[in-house]
This record gives sequence, structure tokens and C-alpha cells, in this order.
Amino acid sequence: MRRSKLFSDRLVILIAYTFLGLFGIMCLYPLILTLSVSLSAEKEIVKSGYSVIPQDFTFNTYLYIFVNSGKRILRSYGVTIFITMVGTLGAMLVTSMIAFALSIKTLRYRNFIAFICNFTIVFSAGLIPWYVVCVNYYGLKNNILALILPSIFSVWNMFLMRTYFSSISPSLYEAAKIDGASYLRIYWRIAIPLSKTAILTVGLMYALQYWNDWWYALIFINNKELFPLQYYLYTILSNVNAISSGRIPSGAAAGITLPAETVKMAVTIITIGPVIFLYPIVQKYFVQGIMTGAVKE
Amino acid sequence: MKSKNSHNFGQTIKIDRKKDFVKELKRNRGLYLMCLPALIVLIMFCYIPFTGTWMAFTDFNVVDGIFGSPFVGLDNFKYFFSTSSMGWKVTYNTLFINFCGIILGLIIPISIAVFFNEIQSKVFKKLTQSFMFFPYFLSWVVVGAIIYGFFSSDVGVINNLLRSFGLEPIKWYAEPKYWKGIIIFASMWKWSGYSSIIYMAAMASFDGALYEAAEVDGANKLQRILFLTLPMLKPTAVVLTLMSVGRIFYGDFGMIYGIVGNNPVLSDAVTVIDTYVYQTMRTLGFSYATAIGLFQSLMGLILVTIANRSAKKYNDGEGLF
Repeated sequence: MRRSKLFSDRLVILIAYTFLGLFGIMCLYPLILTLSVSLSAEKEIVKSGYSVIPQDFTFNTYLYIFVNSGKRILRSYGVTIFITMVGTLGAMLVTSMIAFALSIKTLRYRNFIAFICNFTIVFSAGLIPWYVVCVNYYGLKNNILALILPSIFSVWNMFLMRTYFSSISPSLYEAAKIDGASYLRIYWRIAIPLSKTAILTVGLMYALQYWNDWWYALIFINNKELFPLQYYLYTILSNVNAISSGRIPSGAAAGITLPAETVKMAVTIITIGPVIFLYPIVQKYFVQGIMTGAVKE
Repeated sequence: MKSKNSHNFGQTIKIDRKKDFVKELKRNRGLYLMCLPALIVLIMFCYIPFTGTWMAFTDFNVVDGIFGSPFVGLDNFKYFFSTSSMGWKVTYNTLFINFCGIILGLIIPISIAVFFNEIQSKVFKKLTQSFMFFPYFLSWVVVGAIIYGFFSSDVGVINNLLRSFGLEPIKWYAEPKYWKGIIIFASMWKWSGYSSIIYMAAMASFDGALYEAAEVDGANKLQRILFLTLPMLKPTAVVLTLMSVGRIFYGDFGMIYGIVGNNPVLSDAVTVIDTYVYQTMRTLGFSYATAIGLFQSLMGLILVTIANRSAKKYNDGEGLF
């Protein structure tokens, strides 16, 4: 009896390690593959296909990219960094202010304002009316603001922040108010410094959203000067997709030079770049933020 | 006399309310001003576009504008469900991909969380968790590039594998039948690490004494998983599932376009309502595309309401929103 119990426990542990190990590898493997192809020689890849170990290790692809389309990529990098920084800062300001206001229980119309926010999650006008309004009234076609403004306020992130602000004891605010502080001052001097985890988590979510966005560019931007990094990668890949589907006759395809395999993967790595470097530092806080946020909800 | 009295009474309340309203705005002026930027964004990008939904009932042309174009009633909606359009097909694709995503989104993240709970090695935990969480940080375009690395006919990993077993390589990007599966798998790959964290957060609040008591009573690990952990995870699972059910009519535009692009060979299999709206906007006109979007929003509204009701029933009055 005792032995069989031990055996079943061991089996559970064995399965747990195997499952998690395999899943972990499944998540990591594609990245290593991408990295190693980008560091391989093009000739080897064409001959023997993709492989996890760099074949004929070389930095030539990266050199090639920066010599040939370095300007393009740097420009797109600039666009992405600009929208990520401005967008995240703006979004944090807009979101944290309303989240703070709605966390104050003496604010009489806070439920009504929360309803205005909630309704937009539940019901929307759809893509086309939104697009028409953005292009015709706000002039967002080929405008860098199109990559920033539409996603500057997320109702989900606002509610996440509100739960944090609500957990701050109101007596702290009362004391500050007796000393004559305005709500704006309380927000800036007390609420924000006390919610570092929330600020960090939500800030990262916005930053990630801006860094990874290419949909707004697909819809609003034709001007190559304003292509963000992700959209630049998308245009490279979608050419490849169309040709490898066999739809374009080989005669027509001959005129278009496909980017080499190694180039595609190198551009992918360049696109992920900063995320790879920041990930180890950022991950811990992110997990912490999501966990505390989820528990409080 | 009596009625006049009560009428007066009602009026004073009204005036008081108006005064109250102004007073409240003045008293908390700072706080209301802090709400203003967010509200302006919502009005600009969510509420003003509602006026444009009128296009769904017209045959829109640029010259006459939104409200001057000829009224056609429900014709646009009728066309969507007629046999000559892709209406049923894209609705089916959307529901099928999302339904499979919901099922996998339950099984895999819960398994990950439960298994993490059972293992001891801290190093292993940290390492595998950071691997699993990483895909969440990648954009769909990058995921698309990775998928290309696996399924490219000439150099892809899968065809290499097939060749090494002596099998015939497959032209993946010309075969629509595989792509629903590939997309569902990709979505699972990207989100599982993230969702498992939410389940782990729920687990962190479990009472350790329960587990000790079960151990004393002679329950083995499997029994503890089946009769303690899983039942205690159920509320979280129900809420998360209801949330995704509420959004089952919404396809992930970024996912489909990031992975497949506008490859017309595959579009029959993977076009969802959202990508269809984008495509028809350019081919069949704004009115028709608006009608599809409106149909999607209405279905979404109905489902969210149902999901919210069920959540309230299940959670003793606490809904999703």
C-alpha cells in the first residue's frame, strides 16, 4: 500500500517535470532556431535547411542588412522608439489619473464614469465607422499620431490600476487633505509613489503594446518614412508568403527578389532585440504585478 | 391640491439635484478634471464612431456622405447571409478557431499551473517559467516569421524532418486545410504562459492547511490534484472562460494577418469576421463592411450579456464587469 502510493506520487512528479520541460523547450526552441539561422551562412541554409546550431557561423547577414538597408531599419527603429516612449508616458498619465479619481469613494458620479468606460468594452461601432471618423475628422491618415492616440487609453489597464489605488488607505489622503493638499497633489505625491508595482506592470503592458503594434500602421500608414519596425518586418514577410503560395506566376516572381532566409530571420531578431535584453529584468516584476492584480480582483 | 403639492415637491427635488450636480462638480473639480483626458479619448474613438454605423443601412458613396446616401434598409445584412457571400463561412471560422482556443486555453494553462505546484526544484521552475512566458512578449508578426521558419516548403524545419524520414515534403503555404490547426496551436503557444500565471496567482491564495490535512488522511498527490486543487481552481476557470465566451465573435486580426497575411490561397480556411471586414472594405464597399461589423458587435453584446448573467449566478452576484 505504502509503496504503491509512493509510486503514484513519483509518477505524478515525473509527468510534471516532463510536461513542463517539454513545454518550456517548445517555447524556447523557435527563438533559438531564429537566432541561429540569422547567424548562419545563407549558402548552408539553402542547402540543408533551418537548424538550431548556427551553420558556418557568421555575422555577415547583420553586416549586409546594415550596409544595404541600414537607413530603413534605423528609421523604423526611431519611429518605434518614439511611439513607444511618447505613447507609454501619455497612456500612463491618462490612465493613472482617471484610475485614481475613480478610486476615491466620495466621488459621487464615479459609477456613471465607470459605466461610460465599461460600455466601450461591451459594445463598439466596428472598424469601418471608426476608420472613417479617424481619417476624415481627425486626419490620422499617414500621421504618426495614428500610431499613438487610438491606443492611449485601455479600460482594462485602468481597472487594474484602480484596484491598486483602492487598496491605499483613505486615512492617508485625509491627513494630506487636512494639511491643505489638493487631489492632484495627493495623486502625484502619495498615490503614485505608493503604487510602484502597478505603475511598472501597466507601464510595461502599454510599452509592449506600442512596441509590438503594426495593425495601426497597416491601416493608417502608407508613407515608408513612418513605418514602425514591426510593420517593416510584416511587409518583408508578406511578400514572401504571397510568392511561396504559388499564386504569383514564376515569371512575375522572377522580377521580385526574395529576401534571403538569413536576412528574414536577422530582421526578426532585430525586431525582438530590446525585448530580449529587457526580458530577464522585467519578467519578475511583470509576473508579480499580474499575480497581485489577479488576486485583488 | 394634493397633486399640485407633490408636483411642487418634485420640482424642488429637481432644482436641488441640479444644484447638487453643480456643487458636486465644483467640490471635486480636480478629480473630474483628471477623468477628462480619458473620457475625451473614449468619446473620440468609441462614441463618435457610433454615428457612422448608420452607413450599414445605406448604400454609402463619398459624394452624398454618411447621412445623404440612399437608404437600403437591411439589404447589406441580407447579402452577408446570402449564399453568394462568405458570411456563414467567416462566422464559422471565427467561432471554430475561438472555440478550440477556449478549450486549449483551459487545459494547457491549468495543467501548467497544477504541475508547477507539484514540483520542488526552484531553478527548474524559474527557468521553465521564463521560457513559457516569453512568447507573450512577441508580436504576431514575429510569430509569423517563426511559423514561416517551420513551415516553409524549401527550408522549413517540418519539411526537413519529413525528408529525413523519407516522406514527401508538403507545400504548407498552398494547402489551406492545415492552417486552422496551425493558428489554434500558435495562439495556445503565445498565451499559455501568461494564462498559467493567473491560475498560479489563484493557487497562491489556497489554504495550505487543507493540503496538510489531506496528506494526513493518506491522500496521494493525484488525489490531492483531483479533489483539492482542481475544484478550487474552478471559479477562476469559470470567470476566464466566460470572458472568452463573451468575445467568441471577435477574431484576432493581428494573429491571422501576422501569420497568414493576405495570402488568398489560405484565406478560405482562416478568414475571420475581423479580417473579412478589412478585406471587404476595399472590395465591396464601406456600407457592407459596416453592416458586418455591426452584426459582430450585436452578437458580441448578446453573448457578453449572457456571460455576465451566468457569472453573476455562479459568483453570488458578482459579474464580469
